[in-house]
Amino acid sequence: MKSNFLKLVLPAFAILLAVGLAFATEESNLPYVGYIATQSGYAEIQTDCPNLGEGYCYEGLDQVFNDSGLTDPKRTWD
Amino acid sequence: MSRKGIYSKLITLFSLLLTILFMYTAVSKLNHLDLFQWRLERMPYISSYASLISWAVPFLELVIAGLLWFTRYRTLALYASLVLLGSFTTYIIVVLKYSDSIPCSCGGVISALGWKDHILLNISFMVLALLGIIWSKKQYNIQATQKSVQ
Repeated sequence: MKSNFLKLVLPAFAILLAVGLAFATEESNLPYVGYIATQSGYAEIQTDCPNLGEGYCYEGLDQVFNDSGLTDPKRTWD
Repeated sequence: MSRKGIYSKLITLFSLLLTILFMYTAVSKLNHLDLFQWRLERMPYISSYASLISWAVPFLELVIAGLLWFTRYRTLALYASLVLLGSFTTYIIVVLKYSDSIPCSCGGVISALGWKDHILLNISFMVLALLGIIWSKKQYNIQATQKSVQ
């Protein structure tokens, strides 16, 4: 009985918990919107910088901003 | 409680935690596979293998999470966990040390941690896998000793 519990219920619980958590936190996995300077003005891009830290956010060589006016630099995570 | 019993329970607990980690990250990746591939394409050194890695990593994670619950394959799964987590941690450390562009940190809510916390989380799970391997061997040795005494 106890052996069956460990063999069946525990892994089933772990799998259900993990799958549930994955869907519940789905939104935190999505990228953020940012803006970079282009020759014609600006372009909207997707970025992973959450704007939490001190460092400036870059996509390749382009600095990423929070606004389309390119005045508010987006920050990294630490 | 006998030593064998404690080791067995701890190994089950570690398997449970590793299963939750691997299932969570695999489902998060598969849920947004295009996004995961997009992120891999922007990663230094591995961008040319993005397509292969985007399928292989979640597949491996699901296989390891499954194998952890078969007593026969548990040690193998613990070794595989250690190798997978070790490879990822080594890659992050190399990127942080030698690459100019530090890319995203991927994988569900774990992405909110940042790279340094991500490394700490990975190392913690690597320690669990390593202890699982050591204690599996100890458990096996205790069983072998008991059999030889009988």
